[in-house]
Amino acid sequence: MPAAAAASARAVQRDDLAGYGFLLPWLLGFLLLTLGPVAASFYLSLTDYSGLSAPNWVGIENYRRIATDDPRFVTAMTVTFTFVLLSVPLKLLFALGVAVALNKGLAGLSFFRAVFYLPSLIGGSVAIAVLWRQVFAGDGLLNQALNALFGYEGPSWIANPSTSLYTLVLLAVWQFGSSMIIFLAGLRQIPQDIYEAASIDGAQPVRQFFKITLPLLTPVIFFNAVIQTIDAFKAFTSAFVISDGTGGPIDSTLFYTLYLYQEAFTNFRFGYASALAWILVLIIAVFTALSFLSARYWVHYDD
Amino acid sequence: MTEVVRAPVLAVPAAASRAGTASPWRRAFAYALLIAVTFVLLYPLLWMVASSLRPDSEIFHSTSLIPQAPTLDAYRRGWNGLSVGFGQLFLNSLLISVLVVLGNVMSCAMAAYAFTRLRFRGRGFWFAMMLGTLMLPQHAVLIPQYIMFLKLGWVNTILPLTIPKFLAVDAFFVFLMVQFFRSIPRELDEAAVMDGCGPLRIFLKVILPLSTPVLATATVFSFIWTWDDFFAPLIYLNDIEKYTAQLGLRTFVDSAGQSDWGALFAMSTLTVLPIFILFLVFQRLLIEGIATTGMKR
Repeated sequence: MPAAAAASARAVQRDDLAGYGFLLPWLLGFLLLTLGPVAASFYLSLTDYSGLSAPNWVGIENYRRIATDDPRFVTAMTVTFTFVLLSVPLKLLFALGVAVALNKGLAGLSFFRAVFYLPSLIGGSVAIAVLWRQVFAGDGLLNQALNALFGYEGPSWIANPSTSLYTLVLLAVWQFGSSMIIFLAGLRQIPQDIYEAASIDGAQPVRQFFKITLPLLTPVIFFNAVIQTIDAFKAFTSAFVISDGTGGPIDSTLFYTLYLYQEAFTNFRFGYASALAWILVLIIAVFTALSFLSARYWVHYDD
Repeated sequence: MTEVVRAPVLAVPAAASRAGTASPWRRAFAYALLIAVTFVLLYPLLWMVASSLRPDSEIFHSTSLIPQAPTLDAYRRGWNGLSVGFGQLFLNSLLISVLVVLGNVMSCAMAAYAFTRLRFRGRGFWFAMMLGTLMLPQHAVLIPQYIMFLKLGWVNTILPLTIPKFLAVDAFFVFLMVQFFRSIPRELDEAAVMDGCGPLRIFLKVILPLSTPVLATATVFSFIWTWDDFFAPLIYLNDIEKYTAQLGLRTFVDSAGQSDWGALFAMSTLTVLPIFILFLVFQRLLIEGIATTGMKR
């Protein structure tokens, strides 16, 4: 059937044209703004480059220096891991607690849900970082309240290197709303009759929570944990604004991304910063991979 | 990769039938807890707005949410607090955000249409590449992109902030639209083919009109994220008259420092206001967007 074959060949031909026509913007973006830069950034990480003269090949020297001879890298790692390991569990715990409370069939659910979501929506903006600076300053809102309530004269939580990072953890926990919405949607997927059966068997609410709710919610917990962890590793704006871009006081809020920014865009060490960037990408990749490996031991999928 | 994440695609049932399961005491306790949480969460925000309406002398002496003698003075001082009026900065932010929305929606819809509806050589391969970029942190491409834009003479213009969005670099939105387009029955395309429509007409006349929910979600989220973005403008914009509102606010922190919190709060309130309005108007859309896709913010 030559006619049909010709027709189908033409159809494939035309589809190729249309397909690549529609895909063209994405394809250009992928090649020019993702694939090319990924390769270039790996190459740059093996060079010494200030943007003024041509990149100067140094091999693995940047990585060697990061691993063995860069105290600020160690600081940035410590700060970032402390932030991630504190803020993510606290945020998820809080989000889960509030979601469970909201799931009791209370009136006003959509009001509370909206109010709790608002901080997640605006929490990353400069305005909120400015607010945080004031709230936790020596003469800020928190200390005024502490003074009025308990007569306690608080220190400046922002200027004190032993507490400054915790104000940022608190800011992250304040933005628990989007995780809460996802938990809430997950809770509503759990069939009601399971609880009814458990009640008939005499299981108390606390037992029901640990034996039914929590196990059935593990896919959602896992999802939230992975997303929030990746996000926490990339946190930047609040630390930048609160510390005036320094990561201070005395590097106590030197987030990894902040250190990367300083190396690249204030010191113009593009080669070194590229190596730092690759290490961050690697850390996130390893962390994600480990999460998936661990998932088989604690995440229950019902299929 | 996202296949593996198994984003829990969660429907939001209209009303859960849990009412009546909790005893009155537990419900009272839940209410008390929720009201307390609401209060703690919103207090700093409301206090910021209240303080923007106070004379400066009062800010450090009042934890109350009601200004004693409300005044718009701080707004006047803040609006003209930089060498460039905040009006200019808001216009800059608006222009960038609108361009980003246009770019994102157009280019991501085109890519998603190609991935879901057109058959062409290499589609599976490119689709896998797209999924691969979903979880790639921006840091991997940041420095080469900057150097490229520098060489092109684009630094200190809005081009690096907007042009990439016309090339569908936000794979997340491509993915979101792919998911949605897949739910549109293929019979509709086939009927259109019978009527002699080509791929372009099907895209414009069948797919897009049926996709308003996902296009709206992408629009609102990309507007908010761009309006709020700080990192990209920080890197790419140098002259204060080209600054976005976020960047202006951060410069204002430096110049006003600890001295004029009233003006700082006034401008902070104004930069959050557009997002707050979008939140009020599109609340349902935003919350359902989060619940069904697990968007991070």
